[in-house]
Amino acid sequence: MLVLLACIPAPAVRAVPCSGAEQLMLSIGKELSAGNVSGAEQILREMDSTHPECAVAILAHARVAEASGAAVEAEDFFVRYAEVVPNEARAYSYHARFLLARGQFPRADVLAAVALEKDSNDVVALAVHGEILDMNGQTQEGMKLLEEACRLDPRIAEAQFRLATIYDRLKRPVDAVQHFEKVVEVDPRDARAWDYLALDLEPLGEVERTDLAYRKGLAVNQPGPHFDAFLDYNYGRFLMKRNNLIASKQHLDRAVELTPNVRAPWYERAKVNLKLKNNQQAREDAERAANIRDPQGIIIDLQLYVLLEQIYTRLGNAELAEKYAKLSQRTPVPPRKD
Amino acid sequence: MSGVRWPAAGSRLSLISTCIFSAALLASSKPAEQSRIAFENRQEKSGVTFVLNNGTTDDKPIIDSTLGGVALLDYDNDGYLDIFFTNGASIPGLDKSNRRFFNRLYHNNHDGTFTDVTERAGVAGEGYSMGAAAADYDNDGWADLYVTGVNRNILYHNNHDGTFTDVTQKAGVTGVFGNKKLWSVSAAWIDYDNDGLLDLFVANYLDWSPENSRVCGAPGRRLSCPPSMYKGEPNLLYHNNGDGTFTDVSAASGIANSIGKGMGVAIADYDGDGWTDIFVANDNERNFLFKNRHGEGFDEVGVESFVAYTDDGVPVSSMGVDFRDWDNTGRPSVFVTALGGETFPLFRNEDGKLFTMASYESGTGFATFRMSGWGAGIYDLDNDGYKDLFSANSHASENADVNPQQHYRQPNGVFQNLRNGHFQDASAEAGPALRLRAAHRGAAFGDLNNDGKVDVVISAIGSPAELLYNTSTGSNHWITIETAGVKSNRDGIGTRIKLIGESGLAQYNAVTTAGSYASSSDKRAHFGLGRDSVVKEIELRWASGTVQVLRNVKADQILKVTER
Repeated sequence: MLVLLACIPAPAVRAVPCSGAEQLMLSIGKELSAGNVSGAEQILREMDSTHPECAVAILAHARVAEASGAAVEAEDFFVRYAEVVPNEARAYSYHARFLLARGQFPRADVLAAVALEKDSNDVVALAVHGEILDMNGQTQEGMKLLEEACRLDPRIAEAQFRLATIYDRLKRPVDAVQHFEKVVEVDPRDARAWDYLALDLEPLGEVERTDLAYRKGLAVNQPGPHFDAFLDYNYGRFLMKRNNLIASKQHLDRAVELTPNVRAPWYERAKVNLKLKNNQQAREDAERAANIRDPQGIIIDLQLYVLLEQIYTRLGNAELAEKYAKLSQRTPVPPRKD
Repeated sequence: MSGVRWPAAGSRLSLISTCIFSAALLASSKPAEQSRIAFENRQEKSGVTFVLNNGTTDDKPIIDSTLGGVALLDYDNDGYLDIFFTNGASIPGLDKSNRRFFNRLYHNNHDGTFTDVTERAGVAGEGYSMGAAAADYDNDGWADLYVTGVNRNILYHNNHDGTFTDVTQKAGVTGVFGNKKLWSVSAAWIDYDNDGLLDLFVANYLDWSPENSRVCGAPGRRLSCPPSMYKGEPNLLYHNNGDGTFTDVSAASGIANSIGKGMGVAIADYDGDGWTDIFVANDNERNFLFKNRHGEGFDEVGVESFVAYTDDGVPVSSMGVDFRDWDNTGRPSVFVTALGGETFPLFRNEDGKLFTMASYESGTGFATFRMSGWGAGIYDLDNDGYKDLFSANSHASENADVNPQQHYRQPNGVFQNLRNGHFQDASAEAGPALRLRAAHRGAAFGDLNNDGKVDVVISAIGSPAELLYNTSTGSNHWITIETAGVKSNRDGIGTRIKLIGESGLAQYNAVTTAGSYASSSDKRAHFGLGRDSVVKEIELRWASGTVQVLRNVKADQILKVTER
């Protein structure tokens, strides 16, 4: 969203008193995109003093408040901005974007629709409405709007990201890669996008580019809105496939630190430990994984049973190996997703 | 939680450099000439006009995607491999009376051309056929033929005059179990009890019928339904009674206790105990490894041996399989083909008991991720003394292309053994024949022109079959061993062969016609010899237990060995 704000065209209202305000607004956007809220606040103070009568300052306050986590205050500013410039599409679209990020989907959708009534080419509103349609199961319709937003403004990172994740979900890695590449071109600090990009490059056989994407993502994976807690996990898995087991384990060590209550990192570290013949450590990791529920089914019980059977076989514990062999045989396999 | 930079790149690169250096050292110490695997499709001039016809309908019933077995057999004992293709039938009637659905037998004219002898031979078939398995089950010295299918399995006895007789009913190998004809895909001739008579294993797939056929995908662009929509079926084992009849021992042997969705079957003595074992590739179910209990039955040990699932603990859509020693350890390993997005599992036999999935470790993981494979083979295609991998590729669904990332018609794949535990995808350099996109299915391997190089015959739905003659470069030597059992079964199936070249390189193979997808390959055991023009020693361990050793054998010949 912060990136979106930086890309919007300047409004035409109050041209004379607001001269230079849009430029400051852009600067605020850049600081917020960089995660520098205090820098944005400094520019905002300057804006308040130089453009006290300018409506766009209200929008700037809304954005800074949003970035500061002051949601109530931010919402108040968004409402006030719409009251001042009721015919301006972005008065509603940014508010919609704000609500969407907070899970208030019906309100976000209503405001996006209002924004589109004012300006059918409002890219932020198109992106919000497209995302909501996708969430409602109207994926094709949502994709059309997101594609339109990306066509109108290829640098609208959030729409590019959302569209790319849909392609990723639909197992269309060629299309996903195209859009994730746009995201990282616009905002190379987006670690999530690098992670996704790597995940979609891998099935295309682009092994070196996959590796590079992971490394670029890790280099920018800092606390903030784009932090990706699973980047080390995904890279660790990838390195295991490349048979780079030592480095794989380093990343999986990090992954279990970052997400100790998630089954998948423990499972993968158990696998790499088994490959490294650290059988006892593998056992501990796999048993830990088995004690963590995985409602999303990222690592299903069958996978754990198979792994535990192998670990106990390696450890020479015939009784437990047999127990997990039987569980592996009895557990139904998941249906193939054709 | 805070982000941390992991400077793994430097150490990783240095490790890779070390590996490359080690590989180069290893390769340079081998006797083989570096060659390029290449194939030439000579179908057009061959007279083989066979087109696999699946008789599909708008609903795309699941049977339409799974047919296409090929057999290479020398049915007239003239020393050259002939070709048998299975074919479909009309749907839903499963009727083969229209000639375009006939199974086809082509006689090898020894000059690169073939003659269609189907009708004279009497092997046009009945019903919706799937696979074929050739071997001399009655030890009369002539290759017989078993054809599997959805509604009809057929055993053809070779009459020694270019014709065959359907003896299915008399022999008792109808594929019916519990009053129900099972959908048979692949079959393997195996002497599981080492009594000198070939028994018959039949891999069965799903409980499908025209009446319970399911429909998937959008109208007009229907997709082949996933196997999870149907119940699996047991496999069958027929014991050869030695009088032209067989006894169904599926239940007594323990084989029928395991319900799967069998597509491919391959045999090998993986634990070196002298008793042949059976691997069944199951579609999106765990694979089976039937460990032979010294002729007394089988224990299913796929899970315990680590071949049931991938190393990620899930099944894949296993279709074709081959079971041979590709790393010259003396222990047969397993190569399985599967659907795109799964990778083709390569299970390396560690110690005759446990397997390790080595797909990524060996370099085939990333390379096969986008392939969907059917026919599968582990053969030394460049005669360098190390067996390579071949896969016949295509997506299962004719309308798979509704997803722009999927492709129904795919080129085949070939992976060159780099002699250090790694394979390299050599498909792109293997000539135009390996770039041909088609709906490939069954693949049979054998030396069609007796030039010492393993050729491949592949069927393809809706396209002419491909006759891929091996034109690999280089002048590596070879030897092909044709066994004739006396106490053992006449074909010598199950004979384990160890060969030591003059350079000291030891290799291993076994006599079998089983493997790949629904197909039957050359029964002669082939070895590439690299630069060795003489074989120092050949040791044959016959199914009977007889051990026979030959020394100082000249290379570049088809060597007939009779059991003594």
